[in-house]
Amino acid sequence: MDIAVDNLTQVFGDGVHQVVALDRVTHHFPSQRFSCILGPSGCGKSTMIQIIGGIEPFTAGAVKIGGKDQTAEALGSHSVMMWQHLNLFPWRTVIDNVAFGLEMQGMVKTERYERASKLIASVGLRGFERHRPAQLSGGMRQRVALARALIMERPIMLMDEPFGALDAQTKIVMQEELARIYERSKMTVLFVTHAIDEAILLGDEVVVMTARPGRIKEVIKVDLPRPRSQDMVNTPEFGRLYDRALHLIREEVLSAMRQQEEMAG
Amino acid sequence: MNQGGKHKSKIKAGLYWLAPYLVIAAFLVFWEMTVRIKGIPPILLPAPSAILKYLVEMTLDGSMPYHLSITFLRIMAGFVVAGFFGILVGIAMGMSPLVARIIDPWIAALYPLPKISLIPLLIIWLGTGESYKIVISAVTAFFPVAISTVAAIRQVDSGLMKAAKDLGANARQVQFNVVIPAALPGIFSGLQLGMGVTIIMIVAAEMIGGTSDSGMGYLLIHAGQVLETEKVFAGLIVLAVFGAVITYGQKRIDRLIAPWAHKDH
Repeated sequence: MDIAVDNLTQVFGDGVHQVVALDRVTHHFPSQRFSCILGPSGCGKSTMIQIIGGIEPFTAGAVKIGGKDQTAEALGSHSVMMWQHLNLFPWRTVIDNVAFGLEMQGMVKTERYERASKLIASVGLRGFERHRPAQLSGGMRQRVALARALIMERPIMLMDEPFGALDAQTKIVMQEELARIYERSKMTVLFVTHAIDEAILLGDEVVVMTARPGRIKEVIKVDLPRPRSQDMVNTPEFGRLYDRALHLIREEVLSAMRQQEEMAG
Repeated sequence: MNQGGKHKSKIKAGLYWLAPYLVIAAFLVFWEMTVRIKGIPPILLPAPSAILKYLVEMTLDGSMPYHLSITFLRIMAGFVVAGFFGILVGIAMGMSPLVARIIDPWIAALYPLPKISLIPLLIIWLGTGESYKIVISAVTAFFPVAISTVAAIRQVDSGLMKAAKDLGANARQVQFNVVIPAALPGIFSGLQLGMGVTIIMIVAAEMIGGTSDSGMGYLLIHAGQVLETEKVFAGLIVLAVFGAVITYGQKRIDRLIAPWAHKDH
């Protein structure tokens, strides 16, 4: 399912405390493609996918999913979010976390456990069904959160810097795993990150955003072949894309720092 | 050399484990010796051996088990009433801003009032029977339980609630499947505070009232009035051990019901 945002604007607070998080953002995220949204901290990239996911209401503009205008309530039904802080339920076991969405739909236990078990096995967590999140490593918790989102079988997957807190090695493994899952699915993925290499390695396009107020600065097409793997990091094509994105991001980070200095001064 | 080192550390570990018991034993020996050498009259300070003799006698003649079990039943009755209403009101206030707004001024006015000052009024209304003791302890324990429950519910991580909503939970499902389980550890700490004040108020209520004729409070005040200091000490020791057992039992139940809230599970 494709997603079109049209003049999407988000303003927080009012009066002198007013902050424009998104300023007339217009973009078309193509169906079944992996779009990475890259930008400096505070550029509104998380805000954008929270709006698309129906988690936050928005100030102005429009969001179209599958060509249809969406009200804020209807937005959430097409997508599922994998959160920056994962938001696993600490009192639930792995299987009850993964099966949560099905349980809310009223699916009987045997059926939802059967489906959850399959997904748990497919993300490499077989044998950990009865563990609680606190008993797992960071990488394993990521897999639980991924399985909990995948089980919903929604056409759109929204990911808000899900690998930000991982160590470098685990991150590489998770990125490859996500690429593999995406390549076998028909999902449209919006992946927020501030890591340039991650955005290029995973994405079909990289949407680079400006510092506050968030606007789209440039869209970089990534034509690296699929399946993607970590080996591509050393190709000249990857290097060229990396340099382009780095150049854009550096400008924006410097501008964000100037903004902060002005506010402090 | 190495062997000797290991041996030494074993002794050290043993000493570490034994240290509190050694100090208790030394304290009792010092007490016993002081009383005997100085010839302190038992009315002022009985020797530990004399207290132990009374403790055994009172256990064998059934008076200690009788008073202790009566006090225990009263504590449980007060605690159950306070726990039930405290959690109920706390949940209603935590979930509904309107209920919180209506009840807040009552709690603000009544919470700082020393509950013991209600005793004269309660005796006028209820006499000095069972209902007065249970009401005074339940009223006292209600506040810490209700206040902790409200705080626990308000402090539930909003990320978990958003995640549940995103996975298709409706408002009622979010309350029952996220808010209440997430608040359980906080509710338990309120119940522990409530148990502490219930014990205090029951024993105090048993001391006051003149016509009371049973319970640990009665036993203590009665023995004190006739200067049976050994009995007073015996009663204090039993109450101290009893309080410790109840606290320990509560912690065990807490771990059983909310194991995720503890690091070592």
